Amino acid sequence: MRSIIVIFIVLIFGFPIYWLVAGSLKSDFEMSLNPPTMFPEELHFENFIAVWDRLDFLDVFKNSLFVSLTTTALIILFCSMGGYSLAKKNIKGKKILTTLILSTMIVPPTVLLIPLYFIITEIGLFDSLWGIILPFAVTSFGLVFMKQYIEGIPDELLEASRIDGCNEYRIFFTIVMPLLKPAIATLAIIEFSNNWNSFMMPLVLIKDTKLYTIPLKLASITNASDVMSWSQILSANVLAIIPVVILFLCTQKLFISGLMAGSVKG
Amino acid sequence: MKKKLDLSGYIFILPSIVILTISVFYPIIWSFIASFKEIKMVDLRKARLWEVPGEFVSFDNYLTALNDPLFIKAIGNTFRFAIVYIPIILVFSIGIALLINDKFRGVGAVRTIVFMPYIISIVSAGVIFMSLFRSDNGIVNATLNTLGIEGVAWLGDGKYAMAVIAIMSAWRKIGYFMLMFLSGLQTIPSELYEAGDVDGTTYIQKFRYIIFPLLLKITSIVVILALVDVLKVFQEVYIMTGGGPDNSTITLPFLIYNEAFSYLRLGNGAAISYILFTVTVIVVIVQNKVLKKKMDY
Repeated sequence: MRSIIVIFIVLIFGFPIYWLVAGSLKSDFEMSLNPPTMFPEELHFENFIAVWDRLDFLDVFKNSLFVSLTTTALIILFCSMGGYSLAKKNIKGKKILTTLILSTMIVPPTVLLIPLYFIITEIGLFDSLWGIILPFAVTSFGLVFMKQYIEGIPDELLEASRIDGCNEYRIFFTIVMPLLKPAIATLAIIEFSNNWNSFMMPLVLIKDTKLYTIPLKLASITNASDVMSWSQILSANVLAIIPVVILFLCTQKLFISGLMAGSVKG
Repeated sequence: MKKKLDLSGYIFILPSIVILTISVFYPIIWSFIASFKEIKMVDLRKARLWEVPGEFVSFDNYLTALNDPLFIKAIGNTFRFAIVYIPIILVFSIGIALLINDKFRGVGAVRTIVFMPYIISIVSAGVIFMSLFRSDNGIVNATLNTLGIEGVAWLGDGKYAMAVIAIMSAWRKIGYFMLMFLSGLQTIPSELYEAGDVDGTTYIQKFRYIIFPLLLKITSIVVILALVDVLKVFQEVYIMTGGGPDNSTITLPFLIYNEAFSYLRLGNGAAISYILFTVTVIVVIVQNKVLKKKMDY
């Protein structure tokens, strides 16, 4: 009985992904058959090469990688620093600041759409990849996550290094940062996949098609199915998904524990 | 020993404050003021960073929004999304969590497969469901046909399009909520189970007194998180239907985007944003109240 339910669940959740991969390997002719074929008759791997060339996917990939990696690196640096300050330093207004940061987590992103469009244009970053990196280089989630983790570091350790004559910056970079490795890995995975999949802000802030990130490119071809065949649209999506799927499969434990840590407090 | 003035705490937090000011704090204030103004794109180009350009129109934008049939439609559509999305989320995430909580062979693989959709972008998930629900030769219609049921034009029919979008969103998020239930279930100490076994209690009694109260508590959190999701629906509509057919899938975020960037009515967009913001805040306040009450028992 249980195995029937398990098979049913695996089918429901796995089938759409199977259908994507199967479709990406079919020929255009096979895609138009009715009823659709369950297994591709022949595997057309050339679909991938075709979309890769047609969509300048190399450039699109480079843009997405650059944006996701840079944003993630900055988030890690700034959120560790900020989280350390909130957890271990006596700064004025800490309580109010922490409350403010926590409350920004509930702001619906569309509320920020119009003002961010204005502000980012004003500071000269409209239609530039930096415009979708710098304003997003700190996240409230990252700050709260790091603060919680750093609170677990014993004060005695920091005091001992102070007595040894370390200055405050050295303490942070040579003693605290190395202790944060597990938290940094978790945050990196979550923020990387968020940025890799980010769509709404790039949609408003990037106009030049040469600067398109993967989700923007995918959206632009989805609404043009008259020029792109379905099998090619699906191939493009397979290419887009592969990096995050690999990242997820390799780091599943960290990824899930991080998400759960954030959700319970949030 | 004389203590030196330590400013490092301020320096460490400075980048966070600067960036959050630019990307969240200032936008919230700017948007609030903008919601009382009529702003043209030209004004926006001429304005300085610290200005909110345009003409003060008091509550006009809010009144326009509330009288706009599209606004009313968007709220109705959001409800139609919620009544499909939330029940599916609850049934599947609780059911799968209970199933996986009993360790059996292959449990890890099941968890991975159920969670996998969460890491797929909404854009790609949208494309996948468009291909599953294609009207001409999608697999869903083909399956219905073999069962002798006539297929429908899912995304092309105002009766079904929103439901398909909700099903897709649920498919993406069930793994996430399931894990919340699962991590709750795993906090039940095994001694509690064993004590029960010694006393000869049945599974039904265990469920009634141990598992059920716990699930109820997590459910109240999950429902609120799901409601916040409901108020965010934008990308899936943008990709799958563009708000159609007959505006049956327009949501508030989609309307905000359209007002601002298609019709260039920025003040109107800001007013709708603030209505949405207020609703979200109310939902979250209710959440905190509910949770506090649950803690007291």
